[in-house]
Amino acid sequence: MPEIGFTPVAGTDAIAVGVRPGGVLAPTAGRVDRGGMIARVLAGSRAFKGEEGDVLPVCTPDGWIVLVGLGDPDEDAAARFRRIGGSRYQELADAGISRLDVALDLSPAEAAEVAYGLALRSWRPPLRYRSKPDPDEVPTLDAVRMVSGDPDAARAAYEPLAARAAAAALVRDLVVAPGNELTPEGFLSRLRGLQDHGIGVEDVDPAAVPLPLLAAVGAGSAHPPKLVVLTWPGGEGAPVVLVGKGITFDAGGISIKPAEDLEEMKGDMAGAAAVAGALLAAALRKAPVALVGVLALAENMPSGRACRPGDVVVGHAGLSVEIVDTDAEGRLVLADALSYAAERFKPRMMIDLATLTGAVEEALGRHRAGLFTASDDLAGRLMAAGEAEEERLWRLPLTDVYDEAVRSPVADLRNCCWEEEDGPDALHAARFLAHFVPEGVPWAHIDIAGVAEADEDGPLAAEGPTGFGVRLLDRLVGDGREG
Amino acid sequence: MKISFAKATVPTEGALVVGVLEDRVLTPTAADIDARTQGLIARAMAASRFEGKRDQTLLLLAPAGLELARLLLIGLGKAADIDAKVAQSFGGGAVAQLQGAGDQVVAIAADAIAGAPIGAADFAANAALGARLRSYRFDKYRTREKKEEKPSVKKLSVLLSDVTAAKQAYQPLDAVADGVFLTRDLASEPANVIYPESLAAKAQTLSELGVEVEVLSEKQMRKLGMGALLAVGQGSEKDSQMVVMQWKGAGTDEAPVAFIGKGVTFDSGGISIKPAAGMEEMKTDMGGAAVVIGLMKALALRKARVNAVGIVGLVENMPSGNAQRPGDVVTSASGQTIEVINTDAEGRLVLADALWYAQDRFKPRAMVDLATLTGAIVISLGDYYAGLFANNDDLAERLLGAGAKVSEPLWRMPLDDQYDKQIKSDIADMKNTGGREAGSITAAMFLKRFVKDTPWAHLDIAGVTWSKKDLAVTPKGATAFGVRLLDRLVADHYEQK
Repeated sequence: MPEIGFTPVAGTDAIAVGVRPGGVLAPTAGRVDRGGMIARVLAGSRAFKGEEGDVLPVCTPDGWIVLVGLGDPDEDAAARFRRIGGSRYQELADAGISRLDVALDLSPAEAAEVAYGLALRSWRPPLRYRSKPDPDEVPTLDAVRMVSGDPDAARAAYEPLAARAAAAALVRDLVVAPGNELTPEGFLSRLRGLQDHGIGVEDVDPAAVPLPLLAAVGAGSAHPPKLVVLTWPGGEGAPVVLVGKGITFDAGGISIKPAEDLEEMKGDMAGAAAVAGALLAAALRKAPVALVGVLALAENMPSGRACRPGDVVVGHAGLSVEIVDTDAEGRLVLADALSYAAERFKPRMMIDLATLTGAVEEALGRHRAGLFTASDDLAGRLMAAGEAEEERLWRLPLTDVYDEAVRSPVADLRNCCWEEEDGPDALHAARFLAHFVPEGVPWAHIDIAGVAEADEDGPLAAEGPTGFGVRLLDRLVGDGREG
Repeated sequence: MKISFAKATVPTEGALVVGVLEDRVLTPTAADIDARTQGLIARAMAASRFEGKRDQTLLLLAPAGLELARLLLIGLGKAADIDAKVAQSFGGGAVAQLQGAGDQVVAIAADAIAGAPIGAADFAANAALGARLRSYRFDKYRTREKKEEKPSVKKLSVLLSDVTAAKQAYQPLDAVADGVFLTRDLASEPANVIYPESLAAKAQTLSELGVEVEVLSEKQMRKLGMGALLAVGQGSEKDSQMVVMQWKGAGTDEAPVAFIGKGVTFDSGGISIKPAAGMEEMKTDMGGAAVVIGLMKALALRKARVNAVGIVGLVENMPSGNAQRPGDVVTSASGQTIEVINTDAEGRLVLADALWYAQDRFKPRAMVDLATLTGAIVISLGDYYAGLFANNDDLAERLLGAGAKVSEPLWRMPLDDQYDKQIKSDIADMKNTGGREAGSITAAMFLKRFVKDTPWAHLDIAGVTWSKKDLAVTPKGATAFGVRLLDRLVADHYEQK
């Protein structure tokens, strides 16, 4: 990520200036324009129209002038400036410019959003996985200064956003990490780093509690499962509890998955990563709120010790579960984690995130995550937070008519429904989880299987891990006064 | 089964059905019988798990002290929760329990229930509706059915004090049930019987009820530029048809409400042929069209004070030497071109031309289409909710409300612009599939490209058109999901008072 600073005056050899649709120049653009140069450039360019996302670097005898489209001022300003920041980075990171001053003539809050978008978009996978880093992969842009009439105000507005961007980067680092590096214990050792920020990191032994469903999922792996509790003691009273599915690699177990694209299953811990990120964001901005993260970490592998389809396991909540499909494992680890978290922390609200089902991808694709909750109030606040951060949710039904599908002939529940092969598995999974949340706890389940990784470049994330969830959770948590 | 209303007396033959409220509180007729029989009902309940919870039943054979063959107790739940839906499931439950039991005559006691939000006449009328809807059978092709396999009930009477009021309340409900039965018949008929021309002929019979029916031939559709719809039907020997039904119940000035149905009378998938297992279910791929035809019948029978238009695009999707191919580009009536990536994503091609024609010709106030459109909606919502997509929040709210009232529940799904890029084609204006992800949404986004400013909603009914199990007022099979919902939508929002 380039270094981001704030300054009252521009001074380097590259400057970004704003242009509105129709070729209307922002004041600074007018000042740097020598002899109608910008107008001539605009006349000769079809691609640059001053729309949001348009970027055109022009090399002049005085240095680089980067024209940045500001788009339609009627549109939601914060999100628009964030996207402008993101798209500008994408264009300029490798253009050869090393230092850039951004002078778009914006308010401090708008300048902060541009910086936020830029910070989010600038994440790249760590280079250490290559034996010899490809020099072309190292971005040339290493310092950006936001020019603002009130740099202190802009810096203050950027601080909480910078925390969110840093948290998103952590989530993406974790999601992209390979399964041989990020085993449950590897995940835990990464989480230990959060202690530097005042976050409590507790390693809970699933066998000691006990957490039999989590233990069953991890039984096949040589790397034992773990439950990690993260605490940010920023406030008093009942905490907000975030629960994350952390299958560090999901082979499917004995119900093994097909080989094609199986490597993507290293990302089946994106929910747990988002929870860790939300804790980091709260700590970085010293949020005055009591926040707890519960991460259920396991590796789902086939082996002689693995659990079998047909096994019955009594979970932490006392409910018995027939495991009919060892590849519907996420709901098993979450069941124990939700039950444990509710009992131990008596949360004022509990939200879980999980890359849970393929069905949610078929339902909502890659633009929205599935939101399940019985609480209209919580649904409204999550939807609004998601909208503001452009991590969009869509509510799906959590109706008890789907309970029939998870009823087992031999146990209290089964973990999925074979009869409806092309049935609504995302809804079945959500109903399954509902059984493990005690009545009276406001709870929401977010199925992020379709959105945790992007299959193409977007304004705030390149193809690859998106960090989905961390920004919306941090916005929801806010200053803890709500809810 | 013949349904009538009669004064409340304890009958002397057949079966009697009485309601019991939660915690074993007897309704008046039940209490009367209990008194006459020295506490028979109380004793029977005490010896069973029957507590009067909604839809619980307890059957008493040859009840001592009565001349009846059977006495059936049905739980009604709490008095304060008794609405039309509870009444319908009470009537439906009576039929489900008794129609094969052997009695020819069944009476249902529809007592006025103190503390219930629904009045006695409406309760009785809705119990009758539930009974009738649940009694539906499609048995015309059973030529050797044994007598004991056929329903025994010939006469069902609903007993209450104000018979005239109940009859009056039942009349429009009976009309809707007629519409539902027509829809179920059409969806149940095999595809060698119901094909575009024969289905159009069925629709034409509505002219007897005052519905104006036009049938557009392939030649006429070609003139109108309906290249998308015609391409789907070109592989079949059967000619494609479009039927336009107009019910003018509100005078001539008012813009109509338009209902558009997908009518693929058999969907083999075409050249992108489907796997063989379960393919026979594809005779129901005209479920949307069947709903529109049944709805027009219901509106006409109850003389709804509304101008309504029903348009159904009827085609058969077959592979043949003349069938359309994956990769073909077709031009729709709107002028927009479509690259056909998958010939089994044919419903949207039919609807594209039907929707365009509906708004172009009729300038409707609102437009609702129904289609068994995507398998993805089943993966999204299962077989309980139908998917609702709308470009207008008011219309969406109205539909959600109507669905909740008649137990044909809808769940709204998103229509964000971001999904549109999945249907961009390399060579035409759009392509007809958007891939595995968000398959129902991209299908709706496709349809949206054929809708101008008209308030419009699309109901994806692929999961709810055919039920694999018995439901409260719907025996397993064709459900006619949509007829009662849209009838209610019209009654609540588009009819002149």
